[in-house]
Amino acid sequence: MKATEIIMKNLLVILCAAAFLLALLASLSLGRYPIGLTDLARLVLPQLGLGGYVAPAPVEMQMVFWNIRVPRILMSIAVGSGISIAGVVFQALFRNPLAAPDILGVTAGSCFGAALSIMFFTRLALGVQGFAFIFGVFAVSIAYVIAARSWDRSASVLVITGIVVSAVFQAGLSILMYLADPYDQLTKIVFWIMGSFHVASWAKAQVTLPVVVIGSVLLGMFGWRLNIMTQSEEEALSMGVDVFRWRMFYVVISTLIVASSVAAVGAISWVGLIVPHIARYLAGTEHRRLIPAAAFVGGGFLLVMDTVARTVSASEIPISIITSLIGAPFLGYLVMRRRRNGCVDVG
Amino acid sequence: MSVEIAGLTAGYGDVPVLHDVSLEIRQGRICALIGHNGSGKTTLMRCINGLIKAWKGMIRVAGRDISLMRRNDMARLISLVPQGGHSPFQFSSLEIVLMGGASRVKPWASPCASERRLAMEVCREVGVEGLAATPFNNLSGGQKQLVMLARALFQNAPVMLLDEPNSHLDFSNQHRTMGLMRRFVKERGVTALISLHDPNLALSYADDAVMLRQGRVVAAGPAGEVMDDAHLREAIGSNLMLDRTLSGARVVVPRDVAVK
Repeated sequence: MKATEIIMKNLLVILCAAAFLLALLASLSLGRYPIGLTDLARLVLPQLGLGGYVAPAPVEMQMVFWNIRVPRILMSIAVGSGISIAGVVFQALFRNPLAAPDILGVTAGSCFGAALSIMFFTRLALGVQGFAFIFGVFAVSIAYVIAARSWDRSASVLVITGIVVSAVFQAGLSILMYLADPYDQLTKIVFWIMGSFHVASWAKAQVTLPVVVIGSVLLGMFGWRLNIMTQSEEEALSMGVDVFRWRMFYVVISTLIVASSVAAVGAISWVGLIVPHIARYLAGTEHRRLIPAAAFVGGGFLLVMDTVARTVSASEIPISIITSLIGAPFLGYLVMRRRRNGCVDVG
Repeated sequence: MSVEIAGLTAGYGDVPVLHDVSLEIRQGRICALIGHNGSGKTTLMRCINGLIKAWKGMIRVAGRDISLMRRNDMARLISLVPQGGHSPFQFSSLEIVLMGGASRVKPWASPCASERRLAMEVCREVGVEGLAATPFNNLSGGQKQLVMLARALFQNAPVMLLDEPNSHLDFSNQHRTMGLMRRFVKERGVTALISLHDPNLALSYADDAVMLRQGRVVAAGPAGEVMDDAHLREAIGSNLMLDRTLSGARVVVPRDVAVK
């Protein structure tokens, strides 16, 4: 019984890994410039010093593959993992399986910053990415500062201030969109808000990946403590965890991950909310195991979504349209099977 | 390790709940905290646990002023058994118990194999080793309370606070929990403060009793001595009296029931 159980557990891991590899191969080869499997070998093997066995690929194909497709795929995996881990962390911190990483206003702030930059500061070196990042972090900081002024230090106050800050930045964004030139700026803003990986490049990857990867590894390392953060504040405090300080730690790192992701590729809705649920179904609630599972599932999920976004129609589909179309019905499904004890948890 | 409280005044916002409370909870004894809802039992526990700050007065645990201690150090001195318990996520009971060891685990680490063995041992002592793999939220109220007790024992602090540990339990589980507590207090030399609604549990299991009324101490001392008719009436209800069962045990009963 035990042995078969272990095999079944490993079988799940093997199946997931196989699915991921398959998705990776499909994503590498599909696109407006199709690259067959033999071509893939001709592209990759020379880089590994095994070029003697195959004829090198045409230069044009090398350009498309190495400068456009690979950075894009790397970004989609990293951003998917990072946002999903941030989702796991936020759901734990706010003790609510329906929390998403943007509840403290990071996405609203980033969108406002991006629009501001698109309209007024197009010439600045910092660019849209820098503005979006700074305003995303700034929005969460305001939410934190307002919450710190309340006598009530519970997480629910932070949720309220997050809603307040989100609403203000959304209003600001609406003002900007109202003022924007509809033929040029408005289109840019709208497309940016809906997110897309077509803007991915090595330059962006160099800025984004370190933050996302280091942040994710840190959150994974400090994962066990998140178990305790899901207990009531009084319980966590009496077990020796300074809830308020640690909440700040987790929020800061998650916010940096989400802000740098959103700044690079625009808002990506729903991934941070639904991936943690799928990961919990696969790996259980213990955060030491859950965080790697969420990283894996999130990376694979966004990889597939982005491949769909760039192959399904002649023009690029914004990624949030696809993630919402899949994510929102999935949440509805979760609500329907929500258990009586209040857990959406299926694990 | 005793708990000494001197001239404690505390409350919420600007409403005081405790007024000038002074008492000593002695090592190796169970002290029952008795009083109405709103008499300040939970507030007193929160003060001892450093969850709310004292406005005036001083609380010392093992001779150390708790207002100067860090949370991690405090968790090594004081553990809490909360009421009921509900987890928003499905953890196994063993994971819930393991959380009690947080003060011994580095923030970036997770419990090592010896911690897990120790946690299982504590589960065995409390009699929940069979539930270790069961999801915590699927347990009955009595089982949850035992797991919470196991977690506090696993924390291994010399002072234990139990906030109405019996409020969700049936009759036999109430006696089971109290019996277990009595055993641990005597075996391990733990100091336990237990708030109770039922004065009969205090009479049967507690060494000492502290009776609160509107945030003031009405009486404190050995349970058998201070829980007399006058103090019971003052702290819990005017219609109560002490009676004896046929075998000689003392019980608190409503006056009209006893006289009938």
